Amino acid sequence: MAKLKMKTVRIIALRQDRKRLLEHLQDNGLVQLTKSEKSREGFRRVDVSSQMQVFERNVELTEQALKILDNIRPEKAGMLASFKGRREIDPDEIGVIASNAKEVIETCSRIVELDKECSDNNAEQVRIKTQLAQLESWQKLDIPLNTTDTKSTAVFIGSLPELYTEERLKTALAAENPKLEFEFEIEFCESNTTNLVVFAPISQKEMAEEALRALGFARPMSPTSKVPKVKAEKLREKSKRLSEENKKAQEEIASFDKMREQIKYTQDYFRFRSDKYNVINNIDHSKHVFIIEGYVPEEDCEKLEALCTRAATCVVEFGDAGEDAPVKLKNNKLAEPAQGILTMYSPPGKTDLDPTPILAFFFYFFFGMMFSDAGYGLLLILGTALLIKIFKPDKKMRNNLKLFQYCGVSTMLWGLVFGSIFGDAPAAIAKLITGNEYVMAHSISNLGDPTPAILPWPIIDPQKDALVLMIISIAFGLVHILVGMGCKFVVCFRQKDYAGAFFDTGLWMLMLIGFAVLAAGMVFAPILMTIGAVIAIACAVGLILTQGRGKKGIVGKAIGGVASLYDITSYISDLLSYSRLLALGLTTGVMAQVFNMLATMMGTNVLGIVFMIVIFLLGHLINIGLNALGAYVHTMRLQYVEMFSKFYEGGGKEFEPFSLNSKYIKIQEDK
Amino acid sequence: MNGIFLAILGAAIATVLAGIGSAKGVGSAAQTSMGVLSEDSSMFGKMLVLTLLPGTQGLYGFIVGFLILVSSGVLSGAPTVTMAQGFAYAGASLAIGFGGLFSGIAQGKAAVSGIAMTAKDEKNFSKGMVSVTLVEIYALLAFIVSLLVVIQVPNFVA
Repeated sequence: MAKLKMKTVRIIALRQDRKRLLEHLQDNGLVQLTKSEKSREGFRRVDVSSQMQVFERNVELTEQALKILDNIRPEKAGMLASFKGRREIDPDEIGVIASNAKEVIETCSRIVELDKECSDNNAEQVRIKTQLAQLESWQKLDIPLNTTDTKSTAVFIGSLPELYTEERLKTALAAENPKLEFEFEIEFCESNTTNLVVFAPISQKEMAEEALRALGFARPMSPTSKVPKVKAEKLREKSKRLSEENKKAQEEIASFDKMREQIKYTQDYFRFRSDKYNVINNIDHSKHVFIIEGYVPEEDCEKLEALCTRAATCVVEFGDAGEDAPVKLKNNKLAEPAQGILTMYSPPGKTDLDPTPILAFFFYFFFGMMFSDAGYGLLLILGTALLIKIFKPDKKMRNNLKLFQYCGVSTMLWGLVFGSIFGDAPAAIAKLITGNEYVMAHSISNLGDPTPAILPWPIIDPQKDALVLMIISIAFGLVHILVGMGCKFVVCFRQKDYAGAFFDTGLWMLMLIGFAVLAAGMVFAPILMTIGAVIAIACAVGLILTQGRGKKGIVGKAIGGVASLYDITSYISDLLSYSRLLALGLTTGVMAQVFNMLATMMGTNVLGIVFMIVIFLLGHLINIGLNALGAYVHTMRLQYVEMFSKFYEGGGKEFEPFSLNSKYIKIQEDK
Repeated sequence: MNGIFLAILGAAIATVLAGIGSAKGVGSAAQTSMGVLSEDSSMFGKMLVLTLLPGTQGLYGFIVGFLILVSSGVLSGAPTVTMAQGFAYAGASLAIGFGGLFSGIAQGKAAVSGIAMTAKDEKNFSKGMVSVTLVEIYALLAFIVSLLVVIQVPNFVA
């Protein structure tokens, strides 16, 4: 029901028992260990970081291998697989995993190696591709690209940066040097390159070179000693071989698919070990003993002591934990799912009380009011129950599902109050079949309505009784805020801050109640109005007198007191914020009604029935998605902004015990 | 001369203006969230929630529009709307129309920042989400004003 009381613990044990003791602590996850930067006098640290690094590397290696495996052979996982819990394994199985670890790590190394080969090959393929593209333009050439001069002839192979026909080239070269004798062959030309071979007598080599350079002649980037065509053929062969190799490598990786589970378990195994070594790194050792310090919830103290004395020769000392102790919450089954919502905001700080039960109640209540449909509520209950049953999710996911299950119950009840079962589906279908008008139920403001009703009890119809519902919403809001302020009152009282409790919180609470009585008086009895007004005015006077008490001088005190009345605006805006209960409740109902109307539009022939079923399913699915999201977000907001702002500080640290921190497996507890 | 045109105009104003607001809001939020998802697709659930938050304005507008169509009798095929009632519908629709338009855009901007914040650290998600819903109250107030008028209009005589 509350924050668990924490104790500090110090365990002093013999070094020879270290492994056993740590393993037991890790298996049971009772203690959060504290780390200190330096060791105390007379003790020293044992450096095991090299072993730890090996384990961490193994974890990384397996992660990498799994990723590669996933790319090549994606894991078959259903859409709902994320609900699935970790697999429970027998404690003995850990031994088996440990003995297979070497083999698995070798497999992982092999996978990573194969993957590297593949990527190397791919890089090579790219290189080959560019080379081939270059050779493409030399296909006609029947001598190697790096052919050099013969005894009598100078050979120039290369390209000019312009498009030349034979005629133009002849003229161009002649214009450069009329004395030059030459012969040439154009191999390839396109808009801004011309590949060509030029022959000239060896005696005119320099002249030819100069003439060509003037035209912008350049030799090929990577001349080869083979005829271009042959070279290209060779490259293509190589590329083919590489892709075959790749295929083979990928097949080999895929063949490790069956090892996937084993790799996962091994990863967790190494994770456990690296965690353990991380702890060893941080504990103080003397020649014969070592010391572990940490926090443990009071209720687990005995269990811890028994555990330690069984596992090792040791001394266990408990002490009172200070205010900085981590927070562990414990709540009953109904409230527990809301702990996640609380920790999402912030775990309770030093002075906070644990608001989970209150939070849980209002969370379910407001969610139900905003989602408000008996059909949807039932679907939520059944859906979450089914998910829990089939997938046996982990505690956290299970709690989330439970949260929605309880919200579903509330949704269903509110749906009955608002007379909404898949919107007005029963009425719409009844109308479709009989042709007569039906309503879901008679609303409280219109009980004499002669139209036949589906539900026998009177309902609050958000459409017809919007004003009534708005007042109800704000009244719920008032209760919510008052409860929040009540918590503040208790917190102040506990800290002996009586002024804070009575003046800052109590007076405002009374004032709000006064206003509520006043408002009720307007509807029911004028005498209540007077009572309410008296209460409110008295409180206002009280506030003016007390709120300036921190200020200096009479004037300062008076101004402080009067100024504090301005806070009334924030209370009013808080209260108005609860009108979203009406708005979202109405939205669900009207949207559902729209879809029902669309669904029953086509009449009762076969086509119409098919159409109806499709639209009905699709429409309500959309409506559930949109409005469940809205209800979730807005009920959360009402808790965080409107209620928590009244009393909750937060800022605590969560209790994170030294335990088997795993991703895939969970060790069964001994029963 | 009766007020059918004005009633339908009101339904259109409510649906379209609020719809534009939501479309702009959701649109910019979706753009940002896709940028985040391209880096880390595991955040899809959280991104979806933040992206959808500015979508409610469109819903409110649609509901007001729908209620106008129902209560003016356009949907049942026998509209009975006086001129005064028509003007009342049109006037009522302005609240959620403009309220939805501007709050949708504003909420979209807030959602973009919320997404950026969540992308940096997933723990910020709930804070971002709550901050984004702060904008929503103004759309809600507009919606409730429109709603209260629309359900009362059939009782107007004259």
